[in-house]
Amino acid sequence: MTGPSIGPPPSDPAERPAGTPRAEAGTRPAFLPNEVDPTVFDEAFLRQLERLLLLMRSPVRGGLKGGRRSVKRGQSVEFADYRDYTMGDDLRQLDWNVYARLERLFVKLFVEEEDVTVTLLIDASASMAAGTPGKLLFAKRAAAALGYIGLASEDRVAVTALSGRTARRRTALRGSGRVFRLLADLSAIDPAEGPTDLLAAARHAGAQLHGRGIVILLSDLLDPSADKVIRELAATGSELIVMHVLSPDELDPALEGDLRLVDSETGEGIDVTVDLATVDAYKARLAAWKADLADLAAKRRASYVDLSSDQNLADLMFAELRRRRVLG
Amino acid sequence: MPFISPLALAGLLFIPAVIAMYLLKLRRDQAVVPSTLLWSRLLTDVEANAPWQRLRRSLLLLVQLLLVLALVLLAARPFLERPAGLARDIVLVMDTSASMGATDVAPNRLAAARDAAMAALKDLPTGGKVSVIAADRTARIVVNETTDLSRVRQAIDDLRPAPTRGDLGDALELASKLATRSGEAQILVATDAALSTPPTVKVSAPVKVLPVGRDRKNQAIVALAVRTAPSAVTRSVFISIANVDLERADRRIELWGDDRLLEARDVTLEAQARADVVIDDVPNDVGTVEARLVSRDPSVTTPDQLAVDDHAWAVLPTTRTRLVLVVGEGDPYLETALSYLPSVELYGVAPKDYGASTQRTDGRPWDLTIFEGYLPATLPTTPILAIAPPSSGPLGQVTGTLKDPGIGSLDPAEPILRYVDLSTTHISAAQQLTTPDWARTVIPGPKGSPLLYTGVRAGLPTAVLAFEPRRSDLPLQVAFPILLSNLTGELLGGSTAPTDAVAPGSPVSLQVPAGATGLTVTRPDGTTTELVPSLASGSAVTYALTDLPGIYTVTPTGLVAASPAPSGGAGPTPRPSAASSGGPSASPPLVVDPSTPVRFAVDLFDLGESSIAPGSPGAIEALGATAVVPGASAAPGSPVAERPTTRDELWIPIVLIVLVGLCIEWAIYHRDAVIRVRRSLSGALRRRPDGGTA
Repeated sequence: MTGPSIGPPPSDPAERPAGTPRAEAGTRPAFLPNEVDPTVFDEAFLRQLERLLLLMRSPVRGGLKGGRRSVKRGQSVEFADYRDYTMGDDLRQLDWNVYARLERLFVKLFVEEEDVTVTLLIDASASMAAGTPGKLLFAKRAAAALGYIGLASEDRVAVTALSGRTARRRTALRGSGRVFRLLADLSAIDPAEGPTDLLAAARHAGAQLHGRGIVILLSDLLDPSADKVIRELAATGSELIVMHVLSPDELDPALEGDLRLVDSETGEGIDVTVDLATVDAYKARLAAWKADLADLAAKRRASYVDLSSDQNLADLMFAELRRRRVLG
Repeated sequence: MPFISPLALAGLLFIPAVIAMYLLKLRRDQAVVPSTLLWSRLLTDVEANAPWQRLRRSLLLLVQLLLVLALVLLAARPFLERPAGLARDIVLVMDTSASMGATDVAPNRLAAARDAAMAALKDLPTGGKVSVIAADRTARIVVNETTDLSRVRQAIDDLRPAPTRGDLGDALELASKLATRSGEAQILVATDAALSTPPTVKVSAPVKVLPVGRDRKNQAIVALAVRTAPSAVTRSVFISIANVDLERADRRIELWGDDRLLEARDVTLEAQARADVVIDDVPNDVGTVEARLVSRDPSVTTPDQLAVDDHAWAVLPTTRTRLVLVVGEGDPYLETALSYLPSVELYGVAPKDYGASTQRTDGRPWDLTIFEGYLPATLPTTPILAIAPPSSGPLGQVTGTLKDPGIGSLDPAEPILRYVDLSTTHISAAQQLTTPDWARTVIPGPKGSPLLYTGVRAGLPTAVLAFEPRRSDLPLQVAFPILLSNLTGELLGGSTAPTDAVAPGSPVSLQVPAGATGLTVTRPDGTTTELVPSLASGSAVTYALTDLPGIYTVTPTGLVAASPAPSGGAGPTPRPSAASSGGPSASPPLVVDPSTPVRFAVDLFDLGESSIAPGSPGAIEALGATAVVPGASAAPGSPVAERPTTRDELWIPIVLIVLVGLCIEWAIYHRDAVIRVRRSLSGALRRRPDGGTA
């Protein structure tokens, strides 16, 4: 079974998911590879994304020099502090103006800018393929946008698909020139055909992380162990951003009558008599569940963003995520 | 709890059927959802709140079970038994006289009496029988011994207030006879007890009055008459109005002539007093007049509580000139008196000249032929007044002569003797006659010999006066012209219809004109009735459908055009007449078409019925026998009769329960729609204070 991919847009504009920029028919940008959906990003949107930056609550220790503040003092232009000169220090870092006034040697310390690894964890369970518009499609597009921001920030961006009991991690990418590879990696993610153990997959993904970084989980969290998933990922030491994606028909189900609800992952069914009171109770239960997850994320110093799959992608990037201090 | 139809309880078998329908597994539609995680948790929450939640989910089942139970109970007809308050046989007398149309209780007293009667009949024992008598001018049985109360209700629903005087005594007598058929009967009288003539009949059964009415605000027209002036030139209308209320009333009397307003006058009526209004100079072209007692305020359409006596009608007397032929030697007293009669043209001819030549050349017959001391061999086919007939004939037997005959005892109700005083009259000589079968004695003489008798002979009004006026002192008295006026009025007829107002419901004798096969009577509401004389030779028919006040029009049917009679020889000589405008040579009288319709009026004119003040029920109840406790009339030593009981069926509360149950079931089944409506309304109300969303 093949899930939604970032492929050609639907022919009917009415079927086009919300948040998808309109592209003129027959005008495919020459720079886009064939495997990337041209309607997801246009050039102006990419330029706007370049101005954004993924915010971190605390400086991180990275590997290569990047665009982020590091705990190490380094070679950037941003002044950090002074310290006494010791033998072996780079004479180019001496502050001669201070020496002229005080006749003492001080070395200027600058903020070291290092790169971090942004890990995009895409929940590829079967439940993500359900709903209208599709949650997996929305998650891949949001991941593409966030990944591009990471690439533009000289961060390393790695895409990991969570399906079954495993996490399939793609090679980390660095540099904005690798954006098409990023999009191709995301396009290649298909929904799982069987049930997904999100906790096992998240543990597997946590084991693949190297050092501190940013972990962005895009999932509907429709798993009995969703709270444990958040705990496990928050315990990796990386900054965790939980993007909780649900479809409109999950947020406000249009069900009525005597129904047998069949789980899209397990195939199991339950008998429910749905009326207005039942729908109200469902909404209350959903709100309580999301509140519990948000509390848990807050306690674990993680960010929690609840989303609807029909949300406009531009609004999400330029308004919603900036308001929630995920992007700056 | 006892049931009338206990077999209907078998319907309780439907309860397991309803439960079985709930136990059957529902055929559910499948819906694929991303995950049933949240739905499973929701069901867990619901089950955690059991058993109340489970009960709430089964509310529809409970309501439907309740509905089945209620419907089965309804079919089984449960009842409560209690001692009956009435006897087993009830005779219900419904007063339908005019006063029962009073509107002091809405809509009127008869409707209130109807409700009171049906409420009283709730105490009828089980299996009790009811007879209903309607009492207005006469009493009639409308329902006879039925146990079906719906039939009783239907019968008394059909009763309407009759615009007639009520005769409750007649109804009580009839009710008493019905009550004697049963050993244990009771008479219920639904009435306002506003009786002009209180009943005096003794009733053999207990009488209970169901009183209705509470007020007496009413003014009425109690008389309406039209009088022609002695000159016969102008006519006046006399109206008498009575105020039976205890307060003074200001009203307006309107006089309408042939549906056009002639005059309106404001009148002030003192409490419990009458006022008379005379309106002169009624135009000659007016045939009927209607008096209307209205309010001075045109916006008030019902100025008092009884409307039927606020209207009255009258027919104006005809002004047709009558042709009278006097055959005799010429009595100056007689001719002088006749000449002063209004609308009369008088002609005279000697007995020797009387014959075929006396027929008129214009074809118009004589309206009256007076034979003075002479009778021809062949009597004419006209009304006849024979004065001192010389010999026996068709008009009566002459057995001799009377010297100084005395006048016998007179009947004061005799219309011919109205206003006639014969107490000082002396007669010197008279013919001794025998009253024939077709006549009635008006002035009796000595030894049974009449001095004046009248009647209808072969369809013709005929009178015989036994003495010549000049052989008495009668012409010197005032009574003479009055007697002559009354007598000629009777003989001339003037109209085939009654000239005075007829009381509603009273039968009327209508004359069928010569040559006509019958009459058509048109009632005030436009309906018509065909009347045919019962015998071929009969000239009068009786009409009894006079229950509606108003003007009735009588039209002869089957008339053929009259051919002119042959003329020849010496004609009659015109005699001077005070009322005639001229002789036939100067102004020939018009030929009156006998097919011209005649009219008569029916008016209530009953002060007793207009006095709508409710009377005392005790006076009526006192006419009945002493009331006994129902069922307690067992003779000593005999087994005590079981006290009758009545049943109160409990269908009303059960029907209410069913209706409420249906509403609850509907609300449960459509509760989502109800909630949505409530939310939209509350949302709209919340938006309104902000000035709306537009």
